[in-house]
Amino acid sequence: MSERAAMAHNDGTGHAESEGFVQLPAPTIWPLILALGVSLSLAGLVTHWAITVLGVCLVLPAIVGWFVQIFPHERHEPVAVSTQIVPISTEWIVHVRPQPEIEPSAATTGRRQVLPLESYSLFVGVKGGIAGGIAMTVPAAIFGLLKYHSVWYPINLLAAGGFVSWASESDAFLAQFHLYGLLAGFAIHAFSSVLVGLLYGAILPMFPRRPILTAGFIAPLFWTGLLYTSLGILSPILDARINWLWFIVSQFAFGLVAGFVVNLQVRVRTPQFRALPFAVRAGLHTDAPRVDESLGDKNK
Amino acid sequence: MATTTAVDLTSQTKPKKLLLQVAHDWLTTVDHKKIGIMYIVYALVFLVIAGFMAMLIRIQLAVPNNHFLSPQVFNRLFTMHGTTMVFFVGMPILFGFGNYLIPLMIGARDMAFPRLNAFSFWISAFGGILLYYSYVGGSGLYGAGSAPDVSWWAYAPLTEKVFSPGHSTDYWTFSILLSGIGTTGTAINIVATILSMRCKGMTMTRLPLLPWIYLVTSFLVFVAVSPLTAAQIMITIDRYLGAHFFDTQAGGSAILWFHFFWIFGHPEVYILVMPAFGFMNEIIPVFSRKAIFGYPAMVAATVSIGFISLSVWAHHMFIDGLGAGGNIFFTAATMVISVPTGIKIFNWLATMWGGKIQFKTPMLFATGFLFQFLGAGLTGIVLSSAPMDWQLNNTYFVVAHFHYVLVGAILFALFAAFYYWYPKMTGRMLSERLGKWHFWLFVIGFHLTFDLMHVPGILGMPRRIYTYEAGRGWDSWNMLVSAGGFIQAIATVIFVVNMVWAFYRGRVAGPDPWDAWTLEWATTSPPPDYNFAVPPSISSRRPLWDLKHPEDVDSHYEY
Repeated sequence: MSERAAMAHNDGTGHAESEGFVQLPAPTIWPLILALGVSLSLAGLVTHWAITVLGVCLVLPAIVGWFVQIFPHERHEPVAVSTQIVPISTEWIVHVRPQPEIEPSAATTGRRQVLPLESYSLFVGVKGGIAGGIAMTVPAAIFGLLKYHSVWYPINLLAAGGFVSWASESDAFLAQFHLYGLLAGFAIHAFSSVLVGLLYGAILPMFPRRPILTAGFIAPLFWTGLLYTSLGILSPILDARINWLWFIVSQFAFGLVAGFVVNLQVRVRTPQFRALPFAVRAGLHTDAPRVDESLGDKNK
Repeated sequence: MATTTAVDLTSQTKPKKLLLQVAHDWLTTVDHKKIGIMYIVYALVFLVIAGFMAMLIRIQLAVPNNHFLSPQVFNRLFTMHGTTMVFFVGMPILFGFGNYLIPLMIGARDMAFPRLNAFSFWISAFGGILLYYSYVGGSGLYGAGSAPDVSWWAYAPLTEKVFSPGHSTDYWTFSILLSGIGTTGTAINIVATILSMRCKGMTMTRLPLLPWIYLVTSFLVFVAVSPLTAAQIMITIDRYLGAHFFDTQAGGSAILWFHFFWIFGHPEVYILVMPAFGFMNEIIPVFSRKAIFGYPAMVAATVSIGFISLSVWAHHMFIDGLGAGGNIFFTAATMVISVPTGIKIFNWLATMWGGKIQFKTPMLFATGFLFQFLGAGLTGIVLSSAPMDWQLNNTYFVVAHFHYVLVGAILFALFAAFYYWYPKMTGRMLSERLGKWHFWLFVIGFHLTFDLMHVPGILGMPRRIYTYEAGRGWDSWNMLVSAGGFIQAIATVIFVVNMVWAFYRGRVAGPDPWDAWTLEWATTSPPPDYNFAVPPSISSRRPLWDLKHPEDVDSHYEY
């Protein structure tokens, strides 16, 4: 009965178990009659007026009948309750995968899995983004020099996404220095670099085994693929003139440097590791012990 | 290994009743469980009827220059198919599950207004009956009677008396009006129940996600169904009393009808799909053996979808000439809704990630839902862009897209829900073997039908055409689409057989066959009339987990 007490409480009405009955709303035909009456009232308009009359004749007593059901007191019927202990049973077997042996820790001895155990602070991503953004300018500038004999071409091209009037300008114009082009291009580049850096900071802990491969090559390939399919909508000017070979080289440069910088930083234990509640509030737990193998290795 | 825990529960033995007594019990019942089951059965009957109509439509379109049906009968079939599926299958079946589950999940004994609940059901049911009565009106059943032929959105001025003489449009209008009254009544009931009848300890932050979603959906019903009801009354006044709301010849506006209809019509998609999300929120964690990932984000996404869905209706009207401002706003609003929807998809995936997934039939359908809903969302993004919409509007691409949502997402979620909660409702388990046959056949049939249906749409095949000439490049696609439809029909027959067989011969389920965590599993299967002998008291989002694992209760982790 102790579990019973844990689960249940008296609902305050006092009639739940002590009297062996539960009071439930009494069955009634009047809602059905009222619905039928209303329906027939409308149906008469498409069939015959007599149907409408019949409908109205049903509506009136149904309203009265329903009213009597609830005034002055709602009508109830007692339903007998025979209380007994019934086990909540299940035949469902949940197969548990073999778990790697790891050093016991606060996070692994409990029943619940808390992920991620460690992550980077927010600013690590920003740092990585800034470093990657700077690194990316090198291949871009080399490309500008080789093809247009100007380091300004790539940044002006980027800026052209924001200046509609530059859409019809020549390559020679874009190869010249323009202050507004520099400012706009810098703003766009800085913003997107920091944003992507933040993304790196967030996703790299999820791929801890080969961070350079993930950050330096796989992520830039995905990113480039995404841009390749959508740049025509985002910036048709850029899409018409971009050199995808050099773009992907720049992306690799960004990814390698950003990934390298991010991985240099010290991981911090996530709030959910320090004090489990946030993890559970976010739903990051399982019902049986299971540990991320890589984190287990790191713990060793 | 699942656990077994003794709790305070009640069982009741019922004496056998005469058939007449049983009928009386069901006709007069105000019990939310019986009303929920009646909703579901009534919706399943209409599902079979509307599915049969779909088969007839696909036979007609399978080959070019086909005259299997007459043009008039074809028009009536797709009108009745669409109207039935939206108003008399989709909404009733979802409200049926809501009716059955919500009081159980919040630890209540019934809905807040049990008699209103019964009224809402019956008036919706009579709406459906009136719609089908149209087949015997006018020229009678053989000539398809007065069945409406104005499609499920009944665009004005097509529905004005001059273009739709007789009573076919009136049948459509009145049946939708009756259904709307019932829907609104149920929505009121659900809101009142969830807000006022939660058991002790069930704060809004511990409310299971399914009731949360029904709460938002019900608010959406208030806002969305009211304009539809107003439009039905206005068109009735136009047709019977000579007003000119939508009569373009007399200064009325057809666009006004479009606005009225779609301000209902697009939120309606979310009214249908959000309960499907709710089913996923309950099923995926149980079969992944993990708590739902990001409960607060899921709630926030649900509320966001509720709000944003009210600002997207005019993407159905891009070709009506809304102007650049209107097009940009509604394009942006439609695309923005993919953000909270994406959050949900990510959270379901994160729930599955690292979990001990068991691919029982409910989980198979839930997984199918995830893939297909993603596909449906992506084709939705295509259509939400005004320039693309100008190209694809009124082609089979649109038909493919919305069937991808309605069948690929909602119907899959409903099948998952059936397999998951059928044991609770009947006390019997559905057959896993038949369930898997059902799933795989349905998946094959679904993709054959609706993946391929996009192609003739892109090739320019208009929707709603009675037949088409050979040699336009649509022939083989249509044949395959029709074949896929029949495979789905076979799968559905297996599902119905499974349900009937399991009802009599299925394995006894026991109170908690899935080792689940929400309160509906804390009572017998099927539950007694009063649900809980003593109203439960909870202290976390997973009360049954707490009960089974007192050494590691959820409440220690929630604050």
